[in-house]
Amino acid sequence: MPTVKGDGMRGLAVFISDIRNCKSKEAEIKRINKELANIRSKFKGDKTLDGYQKKKYVCKLLFIFLLGHDIDFGHMEAVNLLSSNKYTEKQIGYLFISVLVGASSDLMKLVIQSIKNDLVSRNPIHINLALHCMANVGSREMADSVGGDIPKLLTSGETIDSVKQIAGLTLLRLQRSSPEMIPLGEWTSRIIHLLNDQHMGVVTSATSLIEALVRKNPDEYKSCVSLAVSRLSRIVTASYTDLQDYTYYFVPAPWLSVKLLRLLQNYPPPEDPSVRTRLTECLETILNKAQEPPKSKKVQHSNAKNAVLFEAINLIIHMDSDPNLLVRACNQLGQFLQHKETNLRYLALESMCLLATSEFSHEAVKKHQDTVITALKTERDVSVRQRAVDLLYAMCDRSNAEEIVGEMLEYLESADYSIREEMVLKVAILAEKYAVDYTWYVDVILNLIRIAGDYVSEEVWYRVIQIVINRDDVQGYAAKTVFEALQAPACHENMVKVGGYILGEFGNLIAGDPRSSPLVQFQLLHSKYHLCSPNTRGLLLSTYIKFINLFPEIKASIQEILGSDNNLRNPDVELQQRCIEYLQLSTVASPDVLVGLHNITLLLFRSLAKLKKKKPTATAEGGEEKEKEPRTIPQAQVNNAEPSAPVPLQVSVGLPIGRSTARNRRLSVNLKMICSLMPPLPSFFFFFFLMKFEAYLFFYLTIIFLISRFFCKQNGVLFENDLLQIGIKAEYRQNLARVGVFFGNKTTFQFTNFTSNLVLPDSIKSGMYKNRGCILCKCFKIWCQSGQMQKLNLKLPVIISKFLEPAEMNSEAFFTRWKALSQPDQECQKIFKAQFPQDTEQVKQKVLGFGLSILQGIDPNPDNFVSSAILHTRNQQVGCLVRLEPNKQMQMYRLTIRSTKPEISKALGDLLETQF
Amino acid sequence: MIKAILVFNNHGKPRLSKFYQYYPEDIQHQIIRETFHLVSKRDDNVCNFLEGGTLIGGSDYRLIYRHYATLYFVFCVDSSESELGILDLIQVFVETLDKCFENVCELDLIFHVDKVHYILSELVMGGMVLETNMTEIITRIEEQNKLEKQEAGISAAPARAVSAMKEMNIPQKIKDIKLPDLPSIGNLKF
Repeated sequence: MPTVKGDGMRGLAVFISDIRNCKSKEAEIKRINKELANIRSKFKGDKTLDGYQKKKYVCKLLFIFLLGHDIDFGHMEAVNLLSSNKYTEKQIGYLFISVLVGASSDLMKLVIQSIKNDLVSRNPIHINLALHCMANVGSREMADSVGGDIPKLLTSGETIDSVKQIAGLTLLRLQRSSPEMIPLGEWTSRIIHLLNDQHMGVVTSATSLIEALVRKNPDEYKSCVSLAVSRLSRIVTASYTDLQDYTYYFVPAPWLSVKLLRLLQNYPPPEDPSVRTRLTECLETILNKAQEPPKSKKVQHSNAKNAVLFEAINLIIHMDSDPNLLVRACNQLGQFLQHKETNLRYLALESMCLLATSEFSHEAVKKHQDTVITALKTERDVSVRQRAVDLLYAMCDRSNAEEIVGEMLEYLESADYSIREEMVLKVAILAEKYAVDYTWYVDVILNLIRIAGDYVSEEVWYRVIQIVINRDDVQGYAAKTVFEALQAPACHENMVKVGGYILGEFGNLIAGDPRSSPLVQFQLLHSKYHLCSPNTRGLLLSTYIKFINLFPEIKASIQEILGSDNNLRNPDVELQQRCIEYLQLSTVASPDVLVGLHNITLLLFRSLAKLKKKKPTATAEGGEEKEKEPRTIPQAQVNNAEPSAPVPLQVSVGLPIGRSTARNRRLSVNLKMICSLMPPLPSFFFFFFLMKFEAYLFFYLTIIFLISRFFCKQNGVLFENDLLQIGIKAEYRQNLARVGVFFGNKTTFQFTNFTSNLVLPDSIKSGMYKNRGCILCKCFKIWCQSGQMQKLNLKLPVIISKFLEPAEMNSEAFFTRWKALSQPDQECQKIFKAQFPQDTEQVKQKVLGFGLSILQGIDPNPDNFVSSAILHTRNQQVGCLVRLEPNKQMQMYRLTIRSTKPEISKALGDLLETQF
Repeated sequence: MIKAILVFNNHGKPRLSKFYQYYPEDIQHQIIRETFHLVSKRDDNVCNFLEGGTLIGGSDYRLIYRHYATLYFVFCVDSSESELGILDLIQVFVETLDKCFENVCELDLIFHVDKVHYILSELVMGGMVLETNMTEIITRIEEQNKLEKQEAGISAAPARAVSAMKEMNIPQKIKDIKLPDLPSIGNLKF
């Protein structure tokens, strides 16, 4: 017997023993640090170390590394060892490199140089070391500089077998890391013919190489099929004595057989009839051998035999052409399902999964259903149970769906946490796919939520809602079942969500029963409200507004909840907003608005469902959002440039509500700006936004925003939607303005490609106002969402009046100037109806905020306002005089403005008119 | 392809680690720890395959392991390898170690890290199975030993003599080493 014990390196042995005798972690670290310091000083010292010493220290470093300490030196010494003539020193050098030096290291150049030298060495054992190192590091750099020699080495007749064997795998490794570096075109046929090599080791390594090459370029290597089949046939039919050393526990060359069978799985069944027959014979022989009594009782024997068998079965499944073989394979696997070896049961379940997908063997697999279910229940190993779940999923079809889903649901109650989520998804998919009776489907999903609510993802419960909405026949049943499920003392939040949604839509279908009268439904849902997350609460609030429509009789109780302090002043902005909006909506809107609203929700959800059929992730929340949007449509000018999908949505949605709102009242609920319920302004003040979410599905309308709000103040929010908030902070002094635009990211993601662009009209740059109305800057911004560029045009509220400076003067001076500006075009007079209550204090604030002074004691009527201001531009200053006379009986105002420039009078008149 | 070969003992102390794909050193140690946690909590009579930990690539990779007395031998492989084949490969590896060290035990792996690496590199290279014929492997190891002895005979002798002189009390030291009672793994489970 050869032994490697008892040679060399005492120092290493002592060091290792020291470490092992350390009583504590600290002592060990201390000892290691001492040793590291010692080695470092030895390496740095003047004395040149001999090869033996270097080898010893490198070994120590390796050991320290294995203990989990970082090694930050010694690399250079290891590289030096490579150039030694001694095999042992070279060997340890290469070992260090392949364990501790990454492909990106600076030392790689030196290493490659050593490899180059060793590759041309006469000594095959040096060549092998170099090849080993290349295979272990396998960097591009290596492939580039020395990879070119490998194919020659591999196919040359002069190379000895052991080098060929290693060269094959080295080439494979380099092909993997940088395939384009070594073109193999001219070597193809010679590489394929390695399959015929005498030496089995060479064939094994060549098979691995060819299999990798075939995956990239199947046509070029097509001729390997017949060679592989004949090789396989020779192995399979050989008696085990023929292969001498490659027989492993009485199985002839099991690794090579596995490799060859894998290789054949890259091609369809051979076209050549003789090759095909030969392959079929091989496979039959392998299946037959499985039935023979074992030649040895050792587990290694059966392992090796079964490794080949499983691979043969995989090939049979892959070819999927011979029903006879497929059924035999299935029966064989069936035997394994009850084998005492856990490994075999595991593999049998896994292979059967593949078999179940073949039409020839699907029925045969189904015969084993009971065994698999037993495995699911009794198997001790979770990985095996998981395979059983996979197989049940694969073998499920319409005929056995109900049973399998039932079994899986039952198992789910006790299943390991690690596989629950996957199981939930599988059950949901099976239930939907094979549902004949949708009441069964609803039951299954609700059971899922009940049993494993935490693992039910949004996709699953969105889907059940979609299906219920689209199938009139289950709506009543769903409402009833969900109502019953909600009565459980503790129910999962997902159940509340589904319940909230379904009752909101179809609660009327069960309202006839006094046990589930509207009020009972509402109270049941509301009893869960306080236990839920804000998200769910929002959904429940939407349900309540739907209830107002469905059951007008409980409107008062719902309004009471919506109006409760807890809700109206909720710290969660979304909830607060919903409550205020819904409350407002329920008071201002007549029943037909609500009906329209309700229909829209349904309509949207249906179209969503249709659009999203393929992708079951349609978001119910998306539906939620949309339900609010249509309200704003009548006031927005829609210039939808988006093609296809969104358009029909928008048309079908926009019209009905448009009419009903217009008829009812001017209902302007600015969704995100709830604090201001302003009456509508002339439409040119409205901008609107069209945002694309997932180009084909989501479109998003948000109304904007009233610049006019900035007429009388300097700071505020200019724009806001779900993604972004834009705020303005401005300062004005004479003709100078400083406007800060603040962008706030409201999402949790980072914006990419966020740019903003400011376009200034000439008048601002030159300091002259030429345009009559407002001086408006346009601010463009672009950002990216879901891979889609979005562009947003906004006007900045920089208007002419911002450059007004209040001026003080006495009565005499005022009237002198007033009279001096008596030309007709210098005066602008407007008479208009009040839009706001004529509260003196508020009007005063607005006048001041607009930039005008308030002069006392000029007009004898205290209700009238007299103001003056100077408008600063860079070149000139323009005086303005303003008189505002409210008439409280008529609720009218008379506004008179005089200034030296006619256009200023007009511009200020237009702006001020809108404010009172 | 084999992504990593790890050997550690029942307490998770690594005895051999070989990665065929580059990982930074700290990640390597984390992978060993993670793998130990995954493997050590399993009973002895469950199956020898399980899905890989998150660090090594998750469910695309499989851990195939065997437990011999005090040591776990774990191979992390992708889907292109036959599970039973790898299990046999572990067996070949251990049998080869057993023949080279004569009744191999954990201590042999500790004191001869380099040798273990050489033996492994005759079996697996760059993540691919190189040689499975035990006779062939042992022949090659023997050749190496012969070379080593020759080289040691020529030039290393003085160095060894010097170091022996320096550490006169080593034999005593070695006797003092407390060897835990390790069952020889070679005798088990073959």
